[in-house]
Amino acid sequence: MARFCQGEAPAFDALFQRYSRPVHGYLTRLTGSPSAAEDLVQLTFLSVVRARGRFQAGARVKPWLYAIATNAARDHQRRNRRPEELTAEGELPATVAADTPGPRDTGLERTVQRALEMLPEGQRIPIMLHRFEGMSFAEIAESMGLTESAVKVRAHRGYARLRELLAELREESSG
Amino acid sequence: MTPECDRVLEALGAGGELPPELARHAATCEDCKALTSGFGALEALPPIPTPQSTPGLEAARQKTLEELAAKPRATPWWRELLVLLATYAAVMVGGLLFLGRKGMVLNTASPAVVAGLALVILLLVGSGAYLALAPMRRHVPWVLVAAGAAAVAILQVVGGSGYAMARGFLSGVMGCMTTEVLLSIPPLALALVLLCRSAFQPVRAFAAGLSAAGVSLFVLHLHCPDGTAGHLMLGHLVPWLLLAGVALFLRARMPTRSYAP
Repeated sequence: MARFCQGEAPAFDALFQRYSRPVHGYLTRLTGSPSAAEDLVQLTFLSVVRARGRFQAGARVKPWLYAIATNAARDHQRRNRRPEELTAEGELPATVAADTPGPRDTGLERTVQRALEMLPEGQRIPIMLHRFEGMSFAEIAESMGLTESAVKVRAHRGYARLRELLAELREESSG
Repeated sequence: MTPECDRVLEALGAGGELPPELARHAATCEDCKALTSGFGALEALPPIPTPQSTPGLEAARQKTLEELAAKPRATPWWRELLVLLATYAAVMVGGLLFLGRKGMVLNTASPAVVAGLALVILLLVGSGAYLALAPMRRHVPWVLVAAGAAAVAILQVVGGSGYAMARGFLSGVMGCMTTEVLLSIPPLALALVLLCRSAFQPVRAFAAGLSAAGVSLFVLHLHCPDGTAGHLMLGHLVPWLLLAGVALFLRARMPTRSYAP
């Protein structure tokens, strides 16, 4: 990161090679659209280049990068979506219809996706970073600008709420 | 949430099976049952396929490399803070020189009160600029910014001289309001431009607004002879708070150049 901050293109390339695909996957899950995720990857890495003077020496790259990606996705949704496509709180929906249908478009998958979508953003983001991106709570805390214990509480409540929502949705569909 | 629940949460994220002692705890703890059940349910979601490279990712890489080649040296964030503070200082000095043809300090409160309040406003201006531009590991709490603004407002009113000018109340208020708005335009504009170089955070935009409009609050504090509570509130403090609100409103609508925290 230090070499990249000094403008070395090979150092940036290494960073891009290492993180562009996981960040693309994260943004696809966050926005539900692989093409929007590609645009957001570009915005994320452009932000990294433009704001590398804001990177604090000794900080971890991954949480910083995911914080930028989350901010870019949030801004993209707010500016480009109709208000009715945001949640009631004006937050990011977890996923929307993908550009191409996935191979496992099962009823259970849809129910879980809907339950995840119903979680507030403050619980959904830590869960996505923890469950799908394999980040530690220290990294998630750094990425979200919160304390580690606050993030753990949010994730814990989020998983518990997810179970409740799934039970409610299953009841709804069977009733 | 007990320390064991905490360890269960950590272990789930690390992948693999729970160690036997944590599995025993998770089987008996209601919180952990909910946690593991919620975690397990997400297995139903398929992994996102991420191809090695796509034209879109390659275009992103190329565009970013061009940006890097165009500006290889990173500008440290504190340089922007220094530029903002220098602009604030120039507007303060310029405003006082322009308005103070018949005397720069016309505030009739005791010199100690005038100097003390001036220092408090300068502190607010400096710390507001820092909160607005510095990269932070934690989110800036709203309560901190609100408490700072409230403290300055209360001290301004309490520290007023009580002296009322001969000209009417309304014309006095309008005069100070106009001066405050006009003097705030350059610092506010620069603060907004610099704010767009990081992700939008409402609390930062509000802190930037308080700080930028604090420049003219400082000038008025020294220069305005009217020290009645009504004049200070309507002519000095209300526009100051409104300008901070305007900064928040404008920043929310401006394009973001970088999404870094």
